[in-house]
Amino acid sequence: MTEENDIKLVRTACPAHCGVDSCGILAHVKGDRIVKLEPGEFPFKIDNRICLRGLSSLDITYHPDRLKYPMKRVGERGEGKFERISWDEAFDIIADNLKKIADKYGWRSIGWVLGGPGGGTTKFGAYLRLASLTQSTRVSAWGYGDAGLPCGSRVIFGHQFPHMYLFGQLWMRQFPELLVVWGSNPGESMPVHIMRKVMDAKEEGSQLIVIDPRFTITASKADEYIGLKPATDSALALGLINVIFKNGLHDVNFIQEHTNGTHLVRTDNGKFLKGEDVGESQGKAYIIWDEKTNSHNRVRRSNVKSASITGTYQVNGIECKPAFQLLIDLAMDYSPEKTSEITGVEADLIRKLGERIGKAKSVMFHTFMGLTRTYHGDISMRSLATVASITGNVNTSIKAGPGVRTPTPLNWDPFLHAIKEKPSYHRLGILNLYEAVISGDPFPVKALWFAFINFLNQCVDTNKLINEFYPKLEFIVQTELFMTPSARYADLLLPVCSFLEFSDYISGPYPYLQLQKKVIEPLYESKSDVDIVVGLAERLGFSEYFKGGEEGMIDMIMDHPSLKGVSRDLLEKGAYLLPEVPEGATFPLNFPTPSKKIELYAEQLLEDGQALPVYLPPLEAPITSKKGKYPLTFIQGHSRFRTHSSFANVSSLLKLNPEPLVEINPIDANKRNISDNDMVTVFNDRGRTTLKARLSESVGPGVVNISEGWWIEQFKEGSVNHLTHAVINPVQKKVYEPNMHMNDVAVEVIKSEEMGK
Amino acid sequence: MSKRLGLVFDQERCIGCEACTVACKNENEGSGYWIQVETQNVSQKDTPAGKFPNLEMKFLPRLCNHCSNPPCVEVCPNDALMKRDDGPVVLHEDLCDGCQACNNACPYNIIIYNEEKNISEKCNLCVHRIDHGLEPFCVICCEGQAIHFGDLNDPSSDVSKMIAKRDKFQLKPELKTDPSVYYCHPKPRRRL
Repeated sequence: MTEENDIKLVRTACPAHCGVDSCGILAHVKGDRIVKLEPGEFPFKIDNRICLRGLSSLDITYHPDRLKYPMKRVGERGEGKFERISWDEAFDIIADNLKKIADKYGWRSIGWVLGGPGGGTTKFGAYLRLASLTQSTRVSAWGYGDAGLPCGSRVIFGHQFPHMYLFGQLWMRQFPELLVVWGSNPGESMPVHIMRKVMDAKEEGSQLIVIDPRFTITASKADEYIGLKPATDSALALGLINVIFKNGLHDVNFIQEHTNGTHLVRTDNGKFLKGEDVGESQGKAYIIWDEKTNSHNRVRRSNVKSASITGTYQVNGIECKPAFQLLIDLAMDYSPEKTSEITGVEADLIRKLGERIGKAKSVMFHTFMGLTRTYHGDISMRSLATVASITGNVNTSIKAGPGVRTPTPLNWDPFLHAIKEKPSYHRLGILNLYEAVISGDPFPVKALWFAFINFLNQCVDTNKLINEFYPKLEFIVQTELFMTPSARYADLLLPVCSFLEFSDYISGPYPYLQLQKKVIEPLYESKSDVDIVVGLAERLGFSEYFKGGEEGMIDMIMDHPSLKGVSRDLLEKGAYLLPEVPEGATFPLNFPTPSKKIELYAEQLLEDGQALPVYLPPLEAPITSKKGKYPLTFIQGHSRFRTHSSFANVSSLLKLNPEPLVEINPIDANKRNISDNDMVTVFNDRGRTTLKARLSESVGPGVVNISEGWWIEQFKEGSVNHLTHAVINPVQKKVYEPNMHMNDVAVEVIKSEEMGK
Repeated sequence: MSKRLGLVFDQERCIGCEACTVACKNENEGSGYWIQVETQNVSQKDTPAGKFPNLEMKFLPRLCNHCSNPPCVEVCPNDALMKRDDGPVVLHEDLCDGCQACNNACPYNIIIYNEEKNISEKCNLCVHRIDHGLEPFCVICCEGQAIHFGDLNDPSSDVSKMIAKRDKFQLKPELKTDPSVYYCHPKPRRRL
């Protein structure tokens, strides 16, 4: 904190949920009012930054529509009629209701629906700690768009995230010869943390390829843009594998050493040949074909270099093929011409891209959640990772070098498991929550607490939620800044602080740690989520577990050996730069899969027909099939003007981007007699939405885009999620948790005036 | 030689985010936008030119050009507009009577008329910052690190080096206003 005239300067950090960019922010305070925000300093000046949302944050803090005091519902749910109450009354009502419901249905019938905490940690942790203490249910929000990537990554790499395997060096400013950004638009969703580095990479000589059904801002920076049809990514990947293999550009050594492509698979049942099948003493061992001895052997470090990756072999009368051969057998069906038919990408371009990926010395594949928001998005993730794996472009270790700094795990233990001797909370994926509430499967959920989530606005199938979900709930609490579409459905509404009114620990952006420091006292009667949890814990008899409030929680999460010497006090002074990895050190990146290798072939999904990263047509997206009742594929890009639904009500940003638009290709618009700015209705059997049309080549024929995050009341009628569906992919449910498939939706569009004619 | 402070916008790095627009409005409390980001060669913002998938999208942030020969200074009857020796063209609001001669004279149509105050407004190159050794606010808030500030008369400055090296342009060079705002074209695409 420094003083300059009558202005006090406070360095804090923005925790907005934008891919955890976590910009440092310098707040200028005059009296008790913040008058200006600017980029906060980082140890390396190149990392100083802010974005247009961060710059607009005062418009949230000082927004006239802030919820100012606790309220209880007096009208019908959804009506938005509330009455002011005191915090004491609010905590009494909550404690009474939770106890009553717990007595009747058990604590697990009470769910904590925690959305995106962004860079925030303790506001998330405090709820988990209370869930753990009460053995109630944590509803995971991964499934609202972010579960497909982990599902795919878990299968092929054995890890929740593919980041360190595929593109971790980007953060360390180690740039590749070829950078492939696939199904991701950091230019709008992660403009400073990722997009700047993408452009830095280009300046340092990387060739940039962007693969996306939409010509995004990121695509506009590409050396080559590959505009594919939505949900055909796996087909494109197989086409690339086809080209790579036919040209002999696959990395045999890497496949032998780091993948299960060497492991023999029985052609009779698709299962791995195991020691027990061939009389080996180690019955569970995987078997390879050793080219040196021309015989089978169990896989060992010493023989992988001579393990065959292609061909057909007879082992004790059992016909087998190396898993890589099965991948190639599949890819042989995807000639550039056939792949072109499915994906819409020119065959010649597929050929050139495959050859370029195969020949480049280093290729970095960058992706994120958008790629995986289709019904088979988990396979899209696997297929991208498969292309990287067979060309040796997966990191298997982190080596010391310039910019390489030690990562710092957080001490989540006290939050995940408050009392070691007792069981912790139950867990439900957010899409599983639909069934739990509606039909009691796998157990009934009767009360929900929503924090930092605009549930109704952002989750799929709005009409299902309104008509089938909410009526089944006996008690709903929401902590919020504004009367959002979701807040209207709460029974009790609690006002929370904006990020400038409370403290939290921010473990980013790489390579820094930061303190989100409280700049001003909470406005009106608002409280931070942590303080709300502390208040509730008191009523429920758990106050001893929340001593020290916000600061106590920060100290708790920072209590980790890797953070020795880093304290809250130290972070008050500014961002902390993580220490460099000691010279010469190498940290292996393990693959905790069943084979302990990259799984090109996943036996765990054999019964599902997905042992290989097969191309399966999307669930709804009609673009690859014959014209049906709803011939257009509806996708939802992200907008730079919002972080999901946050900032949608900020007037300074609304001036630049006033209303929702549906982007439609002029070919489709002309067929429907739609002109630019016409009001149109987008609809399917589940619902409809009415908004302005924007004729744009940013989407190809057959595709329409509405950026996500606009609030329901900002549409003339409906919203994006009135069109989406809550269909569960059972494979994702089995592997991790099911994802919502916002980019796999079929719709039709007509001029509004013609609707109902 | 005196200084010629100016800005260089790198279209290779501009992502059209409009953080500069918002930053400038926050800093200078203008009634309108003193810096406006145009999507080039199209009628609607944020739409690409061409036919899918052969497309192009380029952003052009437009603001006062801080011309070496500024037509607005010529026509101002109140000496409210002044070309400083170090480059910035500064509009002194307290001397402005809102006659809008400058608005009409500006070939870049980037002087804003503030109806409420009956004055004209425009980018003053953040002289309140640069006179204290700080960069203009848009420069430090640029998401893409696409805006560069410096002395165009100093061959060793980053801005001079950029315009020496890159394929650059000024707006409406035929008018001989000689803007102190330069743009660098995007680098040629390296197709597959």
